[in-house]
Amino acid sequence: MDNIISESLLRPKWRKVAYGGMQPGFDDNHTDESFLEDMVMNASVVKRDLLKVMQDSVSISQYLCIVTLVSLVWARTLQSTLDENSLLLLDASLFGSVTVTLVMLHLFLHDYSGSTIKAPVALKNPSLTSCVSLNASVVASVFIASRLPSRLHVFAIMLFSLQVFLFAPFVTYCIKKFSFRLHLLFSFGLMAVTLALVYTLHHLLFMLLLGLLVFISVVCPCWLIRIQEYKFEINGPWDEAKLCFNVTD
Amino acid sequence: MADQKHRILMVSDFFFPNFGGVESHIYYLSQCLLKLGHKVVVMTHAYGNRSGVRYMTGGLKVYYVPWRPFLMQNTLPTVYGTLPIVRTILVREKISLVHGHQAFSTLCHEALMHARTMGYKVVFTDHSLYGFADIGSIHMNKVLQFTLADVSQAICVSHTSKENTVLRSGLPPEKVFMIPNAVDTAMFKPAPERLGNDEIIIVVISRLVYRKGADLLVEVIPEICHLYPNVRFIVGGDGPKRVRLEEMREKHSLQDRVEMLGSVPHAHVRSVLISGHIFLNSSLTEAFCIAILEAASCGLLTVSTRVGGVPEVLPEDMIVLAEPDPSDMVRATGKAISLLPNIDPQQMHNRMKKLYNWHDVAKRTEIVYDRALKCPDQNLLERLSRYLSCGSWAGKIFCFVMIIDFLLWRLLQLWQPTEEIEEVPEFTLPHHQDEEIISNFNKDQSLG
Repeated sequence: MDNIISESLLRPKWRKVAYGGMQPGFDDNHTDESFLEDMVMNASVVKRDLLKVMQDSVSISQYLCIVTLVSLVWARTLQSTLDENSLLLLDASLFGSVTVTLVMLHLFLHDYSGSTIKAPVALKNPSLTSCVSLNASVVASVFIASRLPSRLHVFAIMLFSLQVFLFAPFVTYCIKKFSFRLHLLFSFGLMAVTLALVYTLHHLLFMLLLGLLVFISVVCPCWLIRIQEYKFEINGPWDEAKLCFNVTD
Repeated sequence: MADQKHRILMVSDFFFPNFGGVESHIYYLSQCLLKLGHKVVVMTHAYGNRSGVRYMTGGLKVYYVPWRPFLMQNTLPTVYGTLPIVRTILVREKISLVHGHQAFSTLCHEALMHARTMGYKVVFTDHSLYGFADIGSIHMNKVLQFTLADVSQAICVSHTSKENTVLRSGLPPEKVFMIPNAVDTAMFKPAPERLGNDEIIIVVISRLVYRKGADLLVEVIPEICHLYPNVRFIVGGDGPKRVRLEEMREKHSLQDRVEMLGSVPHAHVRSVLISGHIFLNSSLTEAFCIAILEAASCGLLTVSTRVGGVPEVLPEDMIVLAEPDPSDMVRATGKAISLLPNIDPQQMHNRMKKLYNWHDVAKRTEIVYDRALKCPDQNLLERLSRYLSCGSWAGKIFCFVMIIDFLLWRLLQLWQPTEEIEEVPEFTLPHHQDEEIISNFNKDQSLG
């Protein structure tokens, strides 16, 4: 017994250092209780609240409605200016699918938390994705405009689309900042109007839009809260250090 | 068992004439292993017109495989494209063990995979740290998990790196060895005469990029110049952030106190280092940091950010650590300046000689090789079960990739039987002088 104690006293303690060569009495694959002691798990995980997530998702529904309204205007314009035959003649399927793809790209990459157009003193530059999103919407408008018969139509539809795509996010952003209650009110009003208008156009589309809105505002938040349990974040000394000041290039 | 001689193939995308931590690690380790009597062959991709087989100092044979790098000195990942040439080299050189380096070298991953398929024992050294948060890291970690699922033994360059690798790959910690880098103390000697202390010179040598903390330097340098009127800076290195440093120099009118050298070739690093008193490292992430060792070997006191494996690299009295935040770095630099009168560069150099030695690294790596060769042989089915446990989807994909590799290997064996591949004749170089081998790296470089 005494022997073991004196041996453990004689034996130098293992240290977590890289210098000084192999530590006597220990192999290089030695692992003790200090292994991973600096690891931090789920340090910055935010506890999400279902109601809050649902409220935030209203912004997405709202913008979806705005885009739907613009598409309605496009559809109406195309309908009124072109008769059924010419619509069919223009290889409509390809044309339509490109426009729909662009609009979906726009919706997918849109910056829902802010607005791409900002006051000139804004600190943060818009991200690449939000710029791509804006460009996709402009290209989609050009596609639609290319199908119109007169210059006046083209000008009107382009101006209208640009105004909405550029300034609608800015306006909704300002409303949200001004009063959250007004934002909610405005959004629900917009949803009702859009749903009503779509209902007059096409019943199936109405069901689709309604389903989408329910999915965004109810199903997705619940889903997010449920999978939140599986969140697993690992941080430790191997992470890249974050600078505590802003770098302006 | 200890005196068994191995025939090792080192594989990495990163090798001379490229320059960095991984490159010098492979070079020095190979040289020292050669001196221990092992046979070492290096495999890398072609650099410019440097293609084919070359010999370096000490008879180190290098295969520059004619695959062009496509991104950051990496070869295009083709998964199976390198199988024939890897097989030929393994057979020709009668290799007994394959040692791959660096997690983001595609050549390394592919060669290790083929070597395992052919039943060779493999060792892998990880030289870098990765987080767990962004898409790039998640992808890299899956690739690493694939390679390491079947690796015999793994080596990391610091304890932090070992923790990181174990977390990323799910290897048992006992299979991961910590063997640090070292420094060629014969090449990094302090200045013959001690510098005066009336003017204090702080040296920075690093690539001027975000990850090396160039933005920290932009904040720290003017502050230090303001606080200590007798301090001068020498900044060596180039990169996208150089413009910001030059802007800072202009803005604070420090042209006469901050000297910008541009990129410094490795052979001239020592001459820059010995003109200073303090070495400043501002990296935001670092698995080991050989630059600190080189500076300490030249007798400089180091001030560094406390990131990654840096705190393990030097004893506390040889380095001043700071949080990666400008005010704390200024404080640490002030502390270093006050410590300076007690620092004797020659004594520092002598301590470094005892602390780090490539021969020691080679001997420790030899032990890992012995262990790897003792690992039991496994058939394909046993190995596939390991891959399958890597994840519900990934596991199946990994298995599929390995089965195809196995079939391709069998096909190659039919097409070109092993017996038909010519084996290289053995020859031994006349014995070299001890110091000569090591310090010839620079000569090799200039011959380029």
